[in-house]
Amino acid sequence: MNNAYKIIVLVSITLVLIGTTVVPIPFIPGLGDKARIIYLHVPMSWIAVLSFLLSMIYSVQYLRKKDLVQDVKAQSAAEVGFLFTILATVTGSLWAKFNWGSFWNWDPRETSIFILLLIYGAYFSLRSAIENHDQKAKLSSVYAIIAFVTVPFFIFIMPRIVDSLHPADTIVDNQGKINMNPVMLSIFLFSLFSFTLLFFWILNVRMRTEKLKLSRISKNNS
Amino acid sequence: MIDFLEQNSMYLVLIIALVIWAGIFLYLNKIDRNLKKLEREEQK
Repeated sequence: MNNAYKIIVLVSITLVLIGTTVVPIPFIPGLGDKARIIYLHVPMSWIAVLSFLLSMIYSVQYLRKKDLVQDVKAQSAAEVGFLFTILATVTGSLWAKFNWGSFWNWDPRETSIFILLLIYGAYFSLRSAIENHDQKAKLSSVYAIIAFVTVPFFIFIMPRIVDSLHPADTIVDNQGKINMNPVMLSIFLFSLFSFTLLFFWILNVRMRTEKLKLSRISKNNS
Repeated sequence: MIDFLEQNSMYLVLIIALVIWAGIFLYLNKIDRNLKKLEREEQK
């Protein structure tokens, strides 16, 4: 990554943090200042979905080209996605403590993100259980594709078909119209953008590390 | 200063968040620079 990109990430995340904490927000019944979690928690979930999608795309590319670089890209994307899923779980759990009274309530959203963590945890177990690189890549690519099929269900569908305490109409209301104060909406969208930039930097670093490892292994073998 | 932070705890949250973010940024930047060095060595 070039220095200009890094400076943009540095400045934009700093602005997001300033916007998250000190910019006044309108009173939201039942939430108050706790509504500020939306600037951090939702981008974490968005990045988790994005990285699992990328992991699935790289897995498809591996199966088409049989190129191990695509496999390490899929692995890196799944790792970063897993990290951001944990961050979304932790931020949500902290918010639940102050809003619902306990860190964990087995709310449909909490249950679905927990199952998602188990699904992707199994992906890493699968990878570590197989020593042969080609076999590992092939099986884990198939697994990553099947695992992603569950992501839209657990993130978007299940929490909406089961009754939940989780706020559902903070961004978009029941009629599909944007239901957010303009100042909050602009900070929220800027936060999504900034965290996406940060995600691509982290992903880039992770992929380059894995590619370097791969090239050293193939050099040692030859 | 302490009185101000006691009355405006959001600023204290901001300071802590900025310190953590600075740490993450510097760490990520260091890994990126070290990776560049290793990639150059690998190409030679």
